[in-house]
Amino acid sequence: MALPKKIKKTIDLIPNKTGYERREQLLEYIQEDGTYLPKSILHADLDRGMLDFVKNDLQTILDGKVIPTVDIIITTQNWAQFTETWNFQDLDKNVKPPFVTTVRRPEVPYGSNPSLQYTIPNRKQFYYAKVPTWDGQRKGVDIYKIPQPIPVDITYEVKIFVNRMRGLNEFNKNVLQKFSSRQAYTNIKGHYIPIILNNISDESVLDLDKRKYYIQNYEFQMLGFLMDEEEFELVPGVSRALTLYEVSNKTKARKANIQPPRPNEFDLDIQFLNGNTSVHERFSYMVDLNLTSTNNVDDFSVYINDDYVGDNVTKLQINTNDLIRFEIVKDVPSNDSIIKWEATLQ
Amino acid sequence: MSQRKVPITRLNKFFSGEDFGLDISMGQEWLHGDMNFSFVLYRVDKQRTKKDDVYGEVVSEGIQYHPPVELKGYLQIEAPENKFMGNSRIDQVEPGNLKVGIYQDYLDQMGVDIEFGDYIGYYEKEDKVRYYSVVDDGRITSDNRHTYGGYKPFYRSITASPVTNDEFNGI
Repeated sequence: MALPKKIKKTIDLIPNKTGYERREQLLEYIQEDGTYLPKSILHADLDRGMLDFVKNDLQTILDGKVIPTVDIIITTQNWAQFTETWNFQDLDKNVKPPFVTTVRRPEVPYGSNPSLQYTIPNRKQFYYAKVPTWDGQRKGVDIYKIPQPIPVDITYEVKIFVNRMRGLNEFNKNVLQKFSSRQAYTNIKGHYIPIILNNISDESVLDLDKRKYYIQNYEFQMLGFLMDEEEFELVPGVSRALTLYEVSNKTKARKANIQPPRPNEFDLDIQFLNGNTSVHERFSYMVDLNLTSTNNVDDFSVYINDDYVGDNVTKLQINTNDLIRFEIVKDVPSNDSIIKWEATLQ
Repeated sequence: MSQRKVPITRLNKFFSGEDFGLDISMGQEWLHGDMNFSFVLYRVDKQRTKKDDVYGEVVSEGIQYHPPVELKGYLQIEAPENKFMGNSRIDQVEPGNLKVGIYQDYLDQMGVDIEFGDYIGYYEKEDKVRYYSVVDDGRITSDNRHTYGGYKPFYRSITASPVTNDEFNGI
C-alpha cells in the first residue's frame, strides 16, 4: 500500500537553503574554482550532463539491483572496444540486458529555447561582472564581458533493454514521475539546463527465431546552450591610486618656535617728543640697561619707584614691576630727544 | 491423437513398414553411432516454475527444471550475425541459432519431449558450453520434408536461439 502523501519518505539531514541564501549558493556554484566567469559549456559538457542525468535521476532498480547504465554516448566507434571492460557482458562479450543506454542524434540544430532566440546580433559582448583588482599599488576593477549564449537543441534517445515487462514498467514509472511537468532539469557546470520528454516508442526485438528482448526508446530534447570561454572578454575598468603615509606613533610634543624671535638682548630706545621732558615706564620683567648713546640730551635723571637713582647713569638694574621715570634737559628744547639703552633680560 | 489406427498402405508396391523401420534404424545407427552429436536438454517444469500473475513472466531465479537429459541428434549451428540491437546503434555479434534434427522414435524411446522455452546445452569444447532456448520445437511434422518419401513423418526439426548467461547458465 502506498504511503500517504504527507509522510516524508526521506529526511534531509542538512536543511535546504531558501531565499537569499539559496541565491548565494547558486552564485557559489557558478563561481567555484576561483573564477568570476561562468563555466564554459560545449557539446561534450552537455552530453556528459545528459549521461549523468540518466545515470542518477532515472536510476531504476529491478529485483534489488540497479539496472546498469552505459556511461558513454553511443557513437560510430566500434562498440566492442568499450564493452570489453564492462561487467555486464556475457560469454560473447556482448552486453546483456537489462541495461540503459543513451544515443545522441549527431545533428545539433539551433535551439528553440525562447529566452535565447535571435535577439542580439553580431556576438555583442555584455557586462557580466565587475571584479576588484589589486596589483600591490593600484586598486581597480576588471570588467568581465560575455556574449549571448547560443541556444542548441540536442536530441537524445535513451533506450532500455530488458527481458521482462516489469523492468519496462519500473523505468517508465521513473521517467514519467521525473517528467510529470513535461520537463526536468539537470545541473551542468553550475547551469540548470531543461530537458523535455518528447516521445516514447517501442523497438522490441520479437522475431520468432531470434533472441527476444524489449527495447523502449525515450526521446528527450535538451534545451541547452553553448558558451565558449574563448569568447569571454576581460577589460580593465576604473583604477585608483592609493598613497600611503608612514607616521611615528610617538606622543612626545615638539618644541614650538616662537615667532617673532625673542632674543635676550635688545635695544631699548626712550624717546622724548617735542615739548616732553619726562617719560615713565613700568617694566614687567627683570632687565639690565646699559647706556649706549643719547641724542639732544644735555643731562638726565633717573627715578625708580619715585626714588631718585642718579643723573646720567650708564647702568640700571630693573626688577619686575618697577616704575622707571626719566627726566631730561634738552640741548634744543624744540627738538625730539632720545636715550638709547641696551637691554639684557635677566 | 486418435486411438483408432489405420494401416498406411501408400507406396506399398515398393515400400513397406518394415522397410521404413529398417531405414530408420540404419539412420539412427549412423547418427547415434557414427556421428554421435550429443546435447543436454533442460526441460522447464511448468508446474513448479514461479511466474508473475499479470504477465506470466518468470520471476527472478524462479524457473524450475526437470532432471537434464542427454540426447543425440543432428546438430547445425548457424553463422554468427553482426547487427544492431533493434534500432539502437549498439552493434554486436550475435551467435547463430542451433538447429537440431532428431528422430521422433528416439524421443519416444527416451520418454522426453522438447517444448518451447526448454533449454539446450551444447558443449563446444570441454570447458565451453553454450545454452540455447527452444524457439521452435518442431512439433508439426506434417510437411513432406519431415516424411520419409511421403510415407510417414519420422523426425523433428528443433530451432533454438542462444541465451545470455543471466537468463540460463546451467543447473
